[in-house]
Amino acid sequence: MPSFAHLFETFVSSAPLFLKGALLTFELSLASVLIGLAIGLFFAFLSLSKIRALNAISNFYITLVRGTPLIVQIFVLYFGLTDVVQISGFLAATLALAFHNGAYLSEIFRGAIQSIDRGQYEAAKSLGMTSYQTYARIILPQAFLRALPALGNQFIIALKDSSLAAFISMDELFNMATTQGANNFDQMTYLIIVAVYYLVMVMALSHLVNLVEVKLKRSGAT
Amino acid sequence: MAHFLEAKGITKNFGELQVLKGIDLSVNKGEVICLIGASGSGKSTFLRCLNFLEIATSGSIEVDGQAIDPKTSDLNQYRANLGMVFQHFNLFPHMSVLENIIEAPIRVKKVKKSQAIETAMVLLKKVDLEDKAHEHPARLSGGQKQRVAIARALAMRPSLMLFDEPTSALDPETVESVLKTMRVLASEGMTMIVVTHEIGFARAVADRVCFIHEGRIWEQGSASELLDNPKEERTKEFLKAVMV
Ligand SMILES: Nc1ncnc2c1ncn2[C@@H]1O[C@H](COP(=O)(O)OP(=O)(O)OP(=O)(O)O)[C@@H](O)[C@H]1O
Ligand SMILES: [Mg+2]
Repeated sequence: MPSFAHLFETFVSSAPLFLKGALLTFELSLASVLIGLAIGLFFAFLSLSKIRALNAISNFYITLVRGTPLIVQIFVLYFGLTDVVQISGFLAATLALAFHNGAYLSEIFRGAIQSIDRGQYEAAKSLGMTSYQTYARIILPQAFLRALPALGNQFIIALKDSSLAAFISMDELFNMATTQGANNFDQMTYLIIVAVYYLVMVMALSHLVNLVEVKLKRSGAT
Repeated sequence: MAHFLEAKGITKNFGELQVLKGIDLSVNKGEVICLIGASGSGKSTFLRCLNFLEIATSGSIEVDGQAIDPKTSDLNQYRANLGMVFQHFNLFPHMSVLENIIEAPIRVKKVKKSQAIETAMVLLKKVDLEDKAHEHPARLSGGQKQRVAIARALAMRPSLMLFDEPTSALDPETVESVLKTMRVLASEGMTMIVVTHEIGFARAVADRVCFIHEGRIWEQGSASELLDNPKEERTKEFLKAVMV
């Protein structure tokens, strides 16, 4: 084990580099979750549709994502995508992670939408609102509020999962740690440092999720 | 005088179960009709057929002499003209009281926001809740929620109000505030169909009371005829049971 003094020294000297990596990790996670939200909402609607074929499509997608390792998905999408179109590694990694997160987000949305009381649809209908207005103004805002804690947790998972983008040579946190470790023949020091970075980010996010949850409960909006 | 609303031969099946077995009901402008009857007799289902929350299996509904066909009519426009108040309020919990009330006028009727707010405040005053405009529904008592729900329905300027047991989910001490609001509405000439177990309310306000039994209007008449001198055995039994 590296000594504490050595760890601290390396932590400080590597900070400029690692903060850059942390930023990229954050951007990668955020972008993939945002795109994943759109994908998730789309597949949630397919799941909830009365049309069997659409249910089957979303079922297939979710089974595929859940049934295969993320690293395989990343490689397949990365090489598949960069084979046919010229896109940056960042975009490929973002899309691969979005494809992965989308499946989990769609299940979160589906559950949240299903948990909204029938009476809400009926009230909106009885006021003359169209289906589109009912979803856009009444159902989805409530479903989104209810899903917020779960969405926050998915974001935390996405943050940790993004470390796998290191394998398609993204300069995110984890990649930073392995390269620095190899260059300096000091793997353990850099691995411990990178663990601290992840831990701090995850704890900050968890705290944020909790705050939002408490605030929502208090406002009575859910 | 032509009837305002005329429902003829309304039946409704849920799978094998026939819940409504042919209901005819004509409503004149300004009339207050109370529907009473045992649990499961089909009162809610009938009310929901009137604004097409349920589509009747057979029968016809005419409003102002115009037949409403669920396949070809613009049901949203039709529903915008009928207010509905539910047993469990169904307020939108993510919106303030004021937002609940102005939502449909703005989205459905395309009323200007400032105008919608003005109307909403007048209605809130009417239901005695002006000071709650910016609260969320979760902070209100049951009676207050129901009065907001009534204001929300009224904001669409409906020509008929449907009430489905509006006081059944309320604490006894808040029931009166809702009944009072409904009495005021009735006295202003609002056309109303009210499913209720409040026999006192029916007696005081209803122009006509219908006793629903097993999916039919078993007996109907003025409040005093039906409530004080029922002719049918079933009606007598029901009244005896609810008036203990
Ligand atoms: N969507 C539905 N699917 C199947 N059965 C239904 C449905 N809605 C109502 N029913 C059945 O229809 C019958 C009449 O129900 P309805 O709600 O109209 O009764 P009600 O007179 O309003 O009773 P209550 O006083 O309890 O509200 C009941 O047996 C009920 O179980
Ligand atoms: Mg009922």
